[in-house]
Amino acid sequence: MVPASARPALLRPVRGRWVGGVAAGLSAHLGLGVGTVRALFAALALAGGAGVFLYVFLWVTVPLGDSRDPALTSPPAATRLARRLPQLASGRRLPATDIGIGLVLVAGAALLLAVRNGWWPQSSWLLPLVLVAGGLGLAWSQLDAVQRRRTSQVVGGRTPAPLLAVAGGVLLAGAGALLFVGQVGGQGLEPAVLVQSVVAGLAILAGVGLVLAPWWLRLVRELGDERVAREREAERADIAAHLHDSVLQTLALIRSRAADPVEVARMARAQERELREWLYADRPAPGTSVAAAVRAVVAEVEDSRVGPDGGVVAVDVVVVGDREPDEGSDALLAATREALVNAVTHGRPPVSLYLEVRDDALEVFVRDRGEGFDLDQVGPDRFGVRESIMGRVRRRGGTATVTSSVRRGTEVHVVMPAQEQRRTS
Amino acid sequence: MSPVSVVLVDDHALVRAGVRTSLGDPVRVVGEAADVDEAVAVVHEHRPAVVLLDIHLPGGAGGGGVEVVTRCADLRGTTQFLALSVSDAAEDVVGVIRVGARGYVTKEIDGQALTDAVVRVAGGDAVFSPRLAGFVLDAFGIAGGDVATTDDELDRLTAREREVMRLIARGYTYREAAGELFISVKTVETHVSAVLRKLQLSNRNELTRWAADRRLL
Repeated sequence: MVPASARPALLRPVRGRWVGGVAAGLSAHLGLGVGTVRALFAALALAGGAGVFLYVFLWVTVPLGDSRDPALTSPPAATRLARRLPQLASGRRLPATDIGIGLVLVAGAALLLAVRNGWWPQSSWLLPLVLVAGGLGLAWSQLDAVQRRRTSQVVGGRTPAPLLAVAGGVLLAGAGALLFVGQVGGQGLEPAVLVQSVVAGLAILAGVGLVLAPWWLRLVRELGDERVAREREAERADIAAHLHDSVLQTLALIRSRAADPVEVARMARAQERELREWLYADRPAPGTSVAAAVRAVVAEVEDSRVGPDGGVVAVDVVVVGDREPDEGSDALLAATREALVNAVTHGRPPVSLYLEVRDDALEVFVRDRGEGFDLDQVGPDRFGVRESIMGRVRRRGGTATVTSSVRRGTEVHVVMPAQEQRRTS
Repeated sequence: MSPVSVVLVDDHALVRAGVRTSLGDPVRVVGEAADVDEAVAVVHEHRPAVVLLDIHLPGGAGGGGVEVVTRCADLRGTTQFLALSVSDAAEDVVGVIRVGARGYVTKEIDGQALTDAVVRVAGGDAVFSPRLAGFVLDAFGIAGGDVATTDDELDRLTAREREVMRLIARGYTYREAAGELFISVKTVETHVSAVLRKLQLSNRNELTRWAADRRLL
């Protein structure tokens, strides 16, 4: 016996279908060849139309879907958090074309049955029938196209093609209905009857439209609201999935490295930084914000350097103002990084960083509470402060000063005037 | 000097326990609360000198710490509020200051600094963290030309207030800032209180717009 889970569910796939996907779905479900199933249906259809009825019955009752779709076969927990909009939408799309083809098939079958029983419809009945069916088919096929356009999120003007098709469909169906009225009335197509029935039909349509208008409007509004809510829900689920994932990973890492306090502190700090970034920062586009760049520099130093006692040093960052980076700000950031590395590895916490972005200049202060040092006592071999901070900044027209005392620690102060081309432009 | 009475308001019991043990001798915790309604009741019952208040709290009408301060408005003058939050969001900080809190510190603050802050707030002074000072500079504008000429102007900072704010943003304590500017600690405290008053009373459009711009999600 085949275990229940080994057999794919009976669903009508969208891919590989000829008409409604019934044969393809059945073949996947039963494990038979698609050709065999189709041949069986054809044979049954010849036997008094039983195959057609069976096909249409399955078409209506079997839900749409692909049994080999990973979203259906993977456990629900894996797909729950990051549900995507297109998946939802494609599953719910009304198969209007399928229904249209089905109706045509049913009509054809009924007609054939009628002919077998010796009842040949008069041409006066056949014409309106064909007209109505054609009009309906035209309109319904457009409904499908409209839905597809909506799910692919193309926002643009309403294209005239679907509207024309719907209008044409309405006209055709209306003409067919009028011919019907003429037949039922038994008076043929007299102008008086025609006008009467048109007026009556329009009046009924208008009345029904007026009655249903508020309900329809509410439906449209609710649909829009629901779509917005679903988009927001998807975005929130995305953020939640991202955060849960990274936090869970960090927690697992922390547990496995519990014996290494430095590493644990470093991971906790990195995770805290990431969470803060997600919750409170503006998340500007990369390369457009000096503030974001300086935070990235701080993150890099916090992750890669430890203090003199081997512990992780957190840097207090305060940024006032913001603008796009340029060459001057790049030099300032490089100098800031050197100052931070010095403060973290040689100074004592707390380490503070203050960046002020003004129209005329960028100004940065990096401060630690260490023992301090005398710059003049530092030999020329200690290239760090002298070259990487002061030289770098001076080449771009800025100034760097280092104040240091035993009591108050060390503070590096860098000023970078705004670039000339910024002032003239 | 008798110890400063404090009520701790935070919805996480672990945080309350941690803060309680880190507070030094000059401070005595007389009550704790975990949500808005409980906080209002406990504060009215004990009438402490200082309430250490988390900004994000459950309960009440959903207003969090801001709602607690508003509903305790009848105790103004005897009870001061000091916001203690993990949040960096500008509207959280500015929101709770605007309804009357005397300061804002983050939960990373060490025990000694927090004790000092509580004592300072109990004495009627204001407590600014570096980040709050940064927010103030951002909100009031940092361009050099836009300075107040008299102390009565609510919409602009005086040059000295701006200097003090910049030093605090750079990580200076009040004492260090006083030494840097060759003024007394008392004068620094006066400047900070003046800035706090401007932050609370100024209805300058830019301030509200600035806070709204930094609203997220």
